[in-house]
Amino acid sequence: MMTINSKHLTGCTRVAVFAAIALATFASATAADWGTLKGRFVLDGDLGEPTALTVSKDVEYCGKNNLVDESIAVGEGNALKNVFVYLYLKRGKSVDIHPDLAEPSSEPVVLDNHGCRFEPHVALLRTGQTLEVRNSDKGIGHNTNFTLLKNPAFNEMVTNDSPIKKMFTKSESYPSSAVCSIHPWMKAHVLIRDNPYMATSGEDGSFVIEKIPAGTHEFIFWQESSGNLKKLSVGKSKTSRKGRAKLKIPADGELDLGEIKVKLSDLRK
Amino acid sequence: MNGSVAMNHESLRKNLTWWMAAAALLVGCGKVEPPPFRLNMTQMVSNETPTSPEYQQEIADVLGAMFGTPDEPYAVPEAGLDLSRLRMAAGAAWSDEKGTNHGLYRKHCVHCHGITGDGRGPTARFLNPYPRDYRQGVYKFKSTYNADRPTDDDLLRVLVNGVPGTAMPSFSLLPHSELEALVEYVKYLSIRGQLEVSLAAYVYDDLGEEAEVDENGDEKVDSEGNEITKRIPLDPVNDPEQREVVMELLAEIIEGWESSAEKVVIPSEDHIPADNRNAEEIAASVAQGRELFFGTRANCVKCHGPTALGDGQQDDQDSWNKAHKKFLQDMVNAGDQEGVHPGIVASRAEVVASIYTVRNAIPRNLRQGIYRGGRRRLDIFWRIYTGIAGTPMPATGPASPGAQGTLKEEEIWNIVDYVLSLPYETPSRPLKALPVNLEAVN
Ligand code: HEC
Ligand code: HEC
Repeated sequence: MMTINSKHLTGCTRVAVFAAIALATFASATAADWGTLKGRFVLDGDLGEPTALTVSKDVEYCGKNNLVDESIAVGEGNALKNVFVYLYLKRGKSVDIHPDLAEPSSEPVVLDNHGCRFEPHVALLRTGQTLEVRNSDKGIGHNTNFTLLKNPAFNEMVTNDSPIKKMFTKSESYPSSAVCSIHPWMKAHVLIRDNPYMATSGEDGSFVIEKIPAGTHEFIFWQESSGNLKKLSVGKSKTSRKGRAKLKIPADGELDLGEIKVKLSDLRK
Repeated sequence: MNGSVAMNHESLRKNLTWWMAAAALLVGCGKVEPPPFRLNMTQMVSNETPTSPEYQQEIADVLGAMFGTPDEPYAVPEAGLDLSRLRMAAGAAWSDEKGTNHGLYRKHCVHCHGITGDGRGPTARFLNPYPRDYRQGVYKFKSTYNADRPTDDDLLRVLVNGVPGTAMPSFSLLPHSELEALVEYVKYLSIRGQLEVSLAAYVYDDLGEEAEVDENGDEKVDSEGNEITKRIPLDPVNDPEQREVVMELLAEIIEGWESSAEKVVIPSEDHIPADNRNAEEIAASVAQGRELFFGTRANCVKCHGPTALGDGQQDDQDSWNKAHKKFLQDMVNAGDQEGVHPGIVASRAEVVASIYTVRNAIPRNLRQGIYRGGRRRLDIFWRIYTGIAGTPMPATGPASPGAQGTLKEEEIWNIVDYVLSLPYETPSRPLKALPVNLEAVN
């Protein structure tokens, strides 16, 4: 697994390494080979007790759910959840998609209004796939107010047993926020992309993106409370000011970024 | 719909000469000192699209070439904007010897909506609600689906009626031709403002620093082994690829405006209540509407309150105020701003200080009988069916033609009847007769 950190290379090997990269990138154009990107986010810092949210509507129902601020969420061992990692593509550029992933899943992505929070808190959606916004809070009315930049935004009531179904045609550059105006503390983020190369970190902070065409690609690292994760050490690389890192995906192998430490002070200053 | 965008792109691509013409035009009017269009600085220094001063200048130049100045407006032919109308609305206010009025926008609108249409005229800060910032292309009182642009008729209606209960006056005394010119100018400022945001996003997402490569395609490094980078300027006049992108961005925006007439919500004839209903029929419909108002499907009660005084959920903001709130929070969180271009950091404090107090969106008091978007039954129907774009008020009808909505049209008409009955109902009544899901009403 070779990652570029030109600082440590002498002039001579540098040339060799870059030539290798150029070759690898070239090879990926044939798209015969696919690789995996994975890693695990850990919060570096003490989040303390999560902040309780001020429940100002439907207090009797929503108030009993011990709702807390989820903008930074950790699991066991300070595992950082809900970080988005996805392939950056320049406008008008596309990526080869592995045949297994050519079609978006026919299963809808569900965003449920449940216990006066959105479940899940983060989600991934492909263009052409259905987003189903549900309301499983019996007798509680929710509305879903979705801010989108490339697709038409919407703000609609969601009724029990009658989900809103949406399909989008365009990639959004960043995760889009959904809120409920009746219960304004409710928030979720959904990333809409026209390719499958995206992931969010789970309960244990880990993420995995599979079947990526081998070669060097740029990936975006994004977290709700700070947006693009700048200057983050990811494996042997570092993200740029725009939260992007160039990573080389090996053919028939995986690039494991290992533990990625995200400083609490970078998320919440 | 997509087809027509594609067609637009085609025709735009073919017609590139105007770029040169527009650039020349700009050079030509360099001598006067007209009030300039202001950049959208909250966008330029935001966390989402931090835009360096060099790029800010380039964005201003591109907008200048494509839209001209407040004194000399220009519009790409493909924008479908009527240049003679724009000229009538733009510039300093004066009348020619034939009695034709010029400079209508500056005469009638600018002290509230500002030269740039950013809703920041000299009196704006003191008004509640604030004057509309046109630059997002989002309008509240319109006949189209929530996400869609307003039609010319919608904007015209707002100008004729004003927005009752706000500072927005009625201009019903102006001749029709002047109103048309003003509508055109509002659209012009919207399209210009929307493109500005798209350009900032494009510059941030796709331009910026790029590694320099040598003749072999290898990335160049300096003696320390660091990548050598160069800034890719925004220069659509000389870069055909960028020009194509800019034209696409514009086409996407214009498509929204040109298709708005097809996005009008037309109530189905079958459900429009007859004019000759008797008192009992109306009362039955009001009762239905009332049940829906308090029920969880429509859930009007949660925001407008059990007495419909607008005292339900008051903690949310409209999209304009919410964007400012988020911006202010981001700036507080920005900490040492390490890695942010110093030119951006330098202007952030000033931009923060310029932002008006963030105001919450207060649901309407429905007992006053003042309807900002018009008092006809159809107006209220549209508000409930499509929601009020840019505000927390959600849609209850389908979000686009053929989609599924929460309420049926006849139910929406029932609620219209109930809403229109509210100013005449004594406020104590709904409290006593409280409704279906009492436990859900806090
Ligand atoms: C005294 C201040 C004032 C003046 C003068 C004024 N406006 Fe407004 N305008 C407002 C305010 C305030 C609103 C916001 C109303 C609201 O949000 O309910 C508004 C809203 C609007 C809207 C948006 C309506 C919608 O559906 O969202 C348009 C369009 C508009 N004005 C156009 C104009 C034009 C054109 C002129 C000049 C001919 C003008 N205004 C003059 C204060 C003003
Ligand atoms: C999430 C909160 C929310 C819900 C739910 C809601 N509204 Fe509203 N409503 C608002 C807000 C906020 C405004 C003021 C918008 C503005 O003009 O900026 C408003 C405005 C209105 C207006 C005034 C329109 C005008 O022209 O002045 C009417 C009528 C209205 N709502 C009716 C309803 C009805 C009927 C329902 C239920 C079907 C409903 N609302 C549900 C928040 C809500």
